Formats: sequence, C-alpha cells, structure tokens
Amino acid sequence: MDRQLEGKITLVTGAGRGIGRGIAAVLARRGARVVVSDLDEGAVKAVAAEIANEGGDATAIQGDVRSRASMERLASETLAAYGRIDICVPNAGVIGADGFEDRSDFTEADWDITYEVNVKGMMNTAEAVIPHMKERRQGKIVNIASQGGRKPQGRHIALGRQIVPYLVSKAAVIQWTHLMAQDLGEYNVNVNCVCPGTVWTPMWERIAANRLSSDPALLGMSPRQVFDISFEHRHPLSIEQTPEDIGYAVAFLASEDASEITGQALNVNGGAVLN
Amino acid sequence: MTGAEKKSTPMAGQLRDRIALVTGAGRGIGQGIATVLAFRGATVVLADIDEASAVAAAEEIAGAGGTAMAVRGDVTDQQSMNEAAAETVSRFGRIDVCVANAGVIGAPGFEERQDYVEEDWDATYAVNVKGLVHTADAVVPHMKERKSGRIVNIASHGGRAPRLGVRSLGGGIAPYSVSKAAAIQWTWTLALRLGEYKITVNVVCPGTLWTPMWEKIALVQKAADPALKDLSPREIFLQSVRERTPLGREQTPEHIGRAVAFFASDDARVITGQALNVNGGAVMN
Repeated sequence: MDRQLEGKITLVTGAGRGIGRGIAAVLARRGARVVVSDLDEGAVKAVAAEIANEGGDATAIQGDVRSRASMERLASETLAAYGRIDICVPNAGVIGADGFEDRSDFTEADWDITYEVNVKGMMNTAEAVIPHMKERRQGKIVNIASQGGRKPQGRHIALGRQIVPYLVSKAAVIQWTHLMAQDLGEYNVNVNCVCPGTVWTPMWERIAANRLSSDPALLGMSPRQVFDISFEHRHPLSIEQTPEDIGYAVAFLASEDASEITGQALNVNGGAVLN
Repeated sequence: MTGAEKKSTPMAGQLRDRIALVTGAGRGIGQGIATVLAFRGATVVLADIDEASAVAAAEEIAGAGGTAMAVRGDVTDQQSMNEAAAETVSRFGRIDVCVANAGVIGAPGFEERQDYVEEDWDATYAVNVKGLVHTADAVVPHMKERKSGRIVNIASHGGRAPRLGVRSLGGGIAPYSVSKAAAIQWTWTLALRLGEYKITVNVVCPGTLWTPMWEKIALVQKAADPALKDLSPREIFLQSVRERTPLGREQTPEHIGRAVAFFASDDARVITGQALNVNGGAVMN
C-alpha cells in the first residue's frame, strides 16, 4: 500500500460508523496518525481499536460537531498529543431528524438538524483547526458533502421528500468549501470536498427497510435489493461505492499530489451525477 | 516551486504494470504527465505529431529509469491514432490507460492577435475536440473487449467558465475555451456510454502554467501597459497568477500528471464522468 500520508496528523469527525469509519481506516493504512471523533464514544473507540488491530495509529476522542467548544477541545487535545494537525476531515452528517426513515415528507426538525450538523457542524470543525493551520501556513481540509448537493436527480425509489433538507444542506457544504478555499489560499491551506454517491451503510439499510414496509411494489425484496435496484438505474458504472472508496479520494486530496487543488468538489459516485 | 516529480515518490507503485498511451507527450503538459505515470510504475507510450520530440521525451524517461516508447501520432487523423494504438497493443499486449492530452490554443500566430480568426476556431475544433474523439475511438474497442480501461482527457479550467480580469488573453482565447468546454461535455458523454464496460472516463482541467505561449502574451501585455515596463515576462506572469489564484501559485506539468495518475489508479475505480480543476482554486466547481 502506498504510504502517501506517512506521519500526517489527521482529524476525522463522524468516524464511528459508515463513511467516516472507512475514511479513517484508509487514511491510517496510508500512514496517517488518525484522531477519530464521534458523538457516540463507544463506536469511535471500537473504530480506533480496529485501526490499531490492523497496525495503524488511532486515538478516539468523543466530540459533538454541533458544539464549537467540543470541536475546540478536540483540536486542542490533538495538538497537546501530537503538536500539530495536518489534515482535517469534517465528515459528520445526518439525513434528518429522528424517525426520518419512517416519514415521506420533511418536518421542521429535519431542516434544523441538517443545518445544525451538516452545515454549522462543518463550520465548527473547520473553525477549531483553522487558526492553527493559518499559523503554520499549511493544512488540508477535506469536507464530505454528497452528490445530492450538486443537482436533483429525479425522484428516488427509496426516499421521499424528507430527503430535501439533507440535499440543501449538502449544497451548502459545497459552497462553504469554495468560500473557505478562497479565504485560506493565501495561508497555503487547501480546502476541497468529496461528494459520495450511494454507499451501503446502516443508515441506508434503515431507509430501505422503511420503504419496503410502505411500498407494495417492493414486496418480497430485502433492504439490500431495494438499495441495489435504486442505484442500478442511475449509475453508469454500476460498481458500488464503499466507504473505503470515499477514503481513497480523501487520501488523494489530502496528499502532496493534490498540492495545487483547492476549492474543488469531486464526486465519487460511479458517474450518477456528472460534474 | 518546480513541482518536479521524483523517482522516489511514496507513490512509486501506484501504476505498477499499467500500459499507458499519452498523446501530445513530446513537450509541455503531456511530457509531464508521461513522466509522472512512468515514475509511478506505468509503461508509457508517448505519441506526438512531432515524433522527434516524443523520442527525446521517451529517452529522458528511460534515462531516469522509467519504461517508455515513442510513436508518431497525429490526433487530427483517425488512421494515425489507430496505428498508435495498434503499435502499443502489439508491443505491450494491451492499453490500460489512455491520456488524451494533445491540444492547441489557436492557429499559428494567435499570441500576436487581439481577436480570433476563423482558423483559430478550426484548429481548436480539429485538435482539442475531434482529436480527443479520434484518440478515444482508437482505444475504446480494445478496452470494451477487455471490459476494463481508464481514459483521462485533458481540458482546461477555461472550459468551465469565463473569468473577468483575464485581460492578457483578449478575445483570441474564445475558440480555445469553447473547445475545452466541449472536451468536458465529451468526457461526460463518453462516461455514460462506457460505464457498462467498466471503463472510466474523467477529465483534468489545468490552470495556469508557464509556457512559451505565456511568455509571448506577457511581452504583448508589457508593450501595452506602462505599469509593467520594468517587469520581466516571467514576473508579469507570476503577478497575474497571484492576482487570480487563491493559492497564489502557478501549476506545472507534473502537478497535472499527479491528478491524471490518481484517475488512472485503483483508488479512483468508482469515479467516472468527473472534471477536476488543478488550478490553485482560480475556478471552483
């Protein structure tokens, strides 16, 4: 494996499961020393242990991206332990408020939580590391948005209008990436964004299970089959994306190979949305 | 910052055992791409309409320990590209990666003009658009048969959106920018068509590189603007890059090569139909 991030001190939020866990695993295999953070302390401790078992270097720190104080504590504990932060991956995100899988329309609570976590959470995470990166005149920030933040793709087989606040919040993440890149270029800090496609995660399993119970056309299918047909139809390459695939793109954007890339959003989605 | 690629990069194994064909590889960005791919383990076939330049570039790569071969390749001629592809397959057995890079800014003399002429539209269409088509059509039957392949086109961030304040480039740059937008659209079209064959198609959009063209443009600018009279062409170029680029730096051919290497690597196996600007943030997408 190419050790493209040897010794880089890296923060990943939302690393307790799903895409964040895959990103942390890949970055650790590529040589980074990873500080993994999540609201769910048990989950992120388990991820740190998995990485250590593979021979990687990981530390778990509980953190809530909705709280600036929590993100500042995460950054300062990382600095106390390692002396610097080279790479920051604001990844933590939500699709909607509790029970969104069971609804077909959005509620005000969906708008509030997607803004709080997906937009202000990214901002809180970045603001906690930026003063340090500016001072060192060096740093890489890789935000995780979604291809859903680019353009609408027509109606979704497994999702109703409850997904709208999520899509709007991910478009905001892309704009936030552009604006930060513009401001931080003079400090030699690169800011980019990866837009995952449809990745099979525990979250998707719940969504598909809910759709099964409400749509007679899907009778007899498993949640996984619902997921498969929903992405076959909108996916030129028909190769499923894994959390690790998202990690490979993050690793590239965080590496020296991407020294001249900033302000860009890269879809990792089998071509489901072209950009 | 030269951005020079070192043979000892930690990414030296990134493209191990890949066979890569690069057009326009005799100089400039194409030469930088070929060098990076070779230093990362690929066997590289360098095609150029100027065969001598491709031979010299291939010798340089071989001299540094890479594996490279030169062929003549005129992207405006389908037959010539078919021959370059056939020669690659007969020599190395397959083509894993095709980098359609050859391009022109305009018809001869464009640096001296303030506006385009019809020949600029024809030259940019023939090379930058139909040249990419000819290159892809020469390798796609082979890649389809193998159900595997990576195509990486080279466009320009000028193909994304026009920018205010690029005063050095006058109206003469319009045919080029339009052709590069077409190269991006061609990439998307090809990605949709080839997905079912597990062939990925992406495009890298370079920003601003120091080239002989830029030197001429800077001289024209210097003659027109008294504020620039004490600056060298290189200083005028760097000042313009600082003004228009968040990172404040120029790009080199090797920087473009590293993005191409990523798209050609296993790490990008699920990425297709995407355009990536390597431009210090001068245009954001």
